[in-house]
Amino acid sequence: MPTGVAALDTALGGGLPIRQLTELVSGAPSSGGQSTLGRLLSVTRAARQRVALVDGAEAFDPLAVPPDDLAHLVWVRTRSVAEALAVADVLVRDPNYAAVVLDLRGCGERSLRTLPATAWYRLQRAAETGSAAVLIQTEAPQVAAAAHRLLLPSPWSLAWATDLARAELAAQIAAASLRGRPTEERATA
Amino acid sequence: MKEGSASPTASPAFAVLRAEAFGVQALRRHDPALAGRPVALLTGAGREFVIAERSPEATGIRPGDPAALALARCPGLCLGERNVEAEVEAQRLLLAAALALSPRVEATAPGMCTVDLQGADAAATDTALRRRLAELARAGLEVRAGLAASPLVAAYAARRADATNPVLVVTDPATFLAPLPLAWAEPAPACAELLEHWGIRTLGELTALPKADLANRLGTAGVALWERSAGQGVRVLRLAEPSRTFAAEWSYEPPVESLPPLLFRLRRYAERVAFELSAAHCVADGLALTLFLEDGAEHRREFRLPEPCGQPDRWMRVLQAHLDTVRTAARVRAARLVASPARPPQVQDGLFDTGLQDAPAFWDNLARIAAIVGDERVGTPEPGDSPRPESFRLRPPAEAIPPPAPAPVHAARGPVLRRFRPARPVCVACAGRRPVRIEGSGWQAAVRDARGPWRASGEWWKPRAWAAETWHVELAAGGLYQLARAGLAWRVEGLLD
Repeated sequence: MPTGVAALDTALGGGLPIRQLTELVSGAPSSGGQSTLGRLLSVTRAARQRVALVDGAEAFDPLAVPPDDLAHLVWVRTRSVAEALAVADVLVRDPNYAAVVLDLRGCGERSLRTLPATAWYRLQRAAETGSAAVLIQTEAPQVAAAAHRLLLPSPWSLAWATDLARAELAAQIAAASLRGRPTEERATA
Repeated sequence: MKEGSASPTASPAFAVLRAEAFGVQALRRHDPALAGRPVALLTGAGREFVIAERSPEATGIRPGDPAALALARCPGLCLGERNVEAEVEAQRLLLAAALALSPRVEATAPGMCTVDLQGADAAATDTALRRRLAELARAGLEVRAGLAASPLVAAYAARRADATNPVLVVTDPATFLAPLPLAWAEPAPACAELLEHWGIRTLGELTALPKADLANRLGTAGVALWERSAGQGVRVLRLAEPSRTFAAEWSYEPPVESLPPLLFRLRRYAERVAFELSAAHCVADGLALTLFLEDGAEHRREFRLPEPCGQPDRWMRVLQAHLDTVRTAARVRAARLVASPARPPQVQDGLFDTGLQDAPAFWDNLARIAAIVGDERVGTPEPGDSPRPESFRLRPPAEAIPPPAPAPVHAARGPVLRRFRPARPVCVACAGRRPVRIEGSGWQAAVRDARGPWRASGEWWKPRAWAAETWHVELAAGGLYQLARAGLAWRVEGLLD
């Protein structure tokens, strides 16, 4: 499932894999995580596919994306990581969604690290029963059961980023694949 | 199945719905522990307790047997007494099912309703009747139906129907009535004894006697018995009023402290309310559940059903998803369920609409999510009417995704804002009007670059007038942020990501 971000689609071999977990790690602030979400909304809107966003930190701003890119979105604002996972567990099984985005940035690394790895494997098995591509956004590698883990390493510069159209900006997003386990990747970072 | 198709024929104008061993069935609907076990109801007092009704599993015993004898003949037998509340509830369920067939219904007796079907389409009625019986069976009430030209014969037919043939249609009353036992016509005890001596044991044998001669020997009681045996007699139905409120309230004795018993009774009452809505050709677009606790407190929650529906299964999924998350300080002593009636939705999708692959799953899952996070935290966002920041609202998601709008003339530019809620207060040092350093809320950094200001204001004619000055800054430590100044106060509104 294409994301509309060339670097991600190339690294993933064409787009987000269906019925699998993909972790997108924002390695630095302003490295393009939210713009990736914006592009995903645009691409799925054009294809008239339904998208769910589980917003762990209530950070999504509906006024920051074109109003028409919201028509196919189901936005769920949760108060905790546990709530976010419970909601994601329901959504990934639902055959009506093409993509489920679980945004855990800003939820606090401590609360994420206290999650048992089994929580991710449970989500992975749930995703296998559905038909959606599952994108999990984090600030550090967390998802043990992710089939793919990508890092957005480069912070943007105000000098050029604010003048570019969103599609052009998406072309500037850099992505690197992470191969190790989340604990190893965190140690490396 | 039709019985007695020989002429003269009479088209069914009445249906009788009858629940065999009604008291036992009502008791079982209220007590999950009795499911599948032999059950009998007692009547009498002291040492005179005898069996009044029994369930099919209670083999070897008959009504009228002493309780001690019944226990000896049927090991494991559960003996109980009539539960008035359970019987009233079961009767309301039966009445609601009957009212779904016709508006002219009589609650004839406990566990028995007579339906006036005059003018109804026979084929459609038969289909609807069988569907109702299946729904009643799922709701824990096994009901048989008889259809005939008169209420009395329909009642005989309902009594004659069995599990293999739950709907019995009588087209030739004489042939049908002839083999039925005389006791079904309810002769007076003295009369029954005399007829037994005469060797009269069936309705057919009685109606073979001349009516005038029977009148000479047995008087008016004999004439009435003969007419009942012949299925004759016309009576006016005492019509029942359909329910105008779609609510149920019940108590738990003893109070409950776990979910399974709470859900069991809740489901039973939800089924009845759903039947009453169906009889009124309505569905529910919202539910309100109130739990009355032992300490006098109340727990009340209203549920907006994403799609109006009348199926108790779907109601229960919504209710259970909420109750799974509820913790009360005291045990639940009573509960009330109220359904908001609405007309059934009639929607036809467009040819090119992208609809839902599994609409029930979609709405059920949204209800489950709303039970976890709250109704106000799930939905499709859309911009509000005001230019004020954060002016948006959530609406229920659309079933069909509309075609994309034409691309805007001015495409969106720059990184997408990721908001901090609430915005984080900071101290900002400025050179002239330009931010050069921010401190506070975890930041201590110089500003490498800044763009702005963008000024906005609105609602100046209201007490809640607002004005803000927005800047985009790049910190020397990395990261693009949106700053806002209102008066002298600065806040970081979010990350440009």
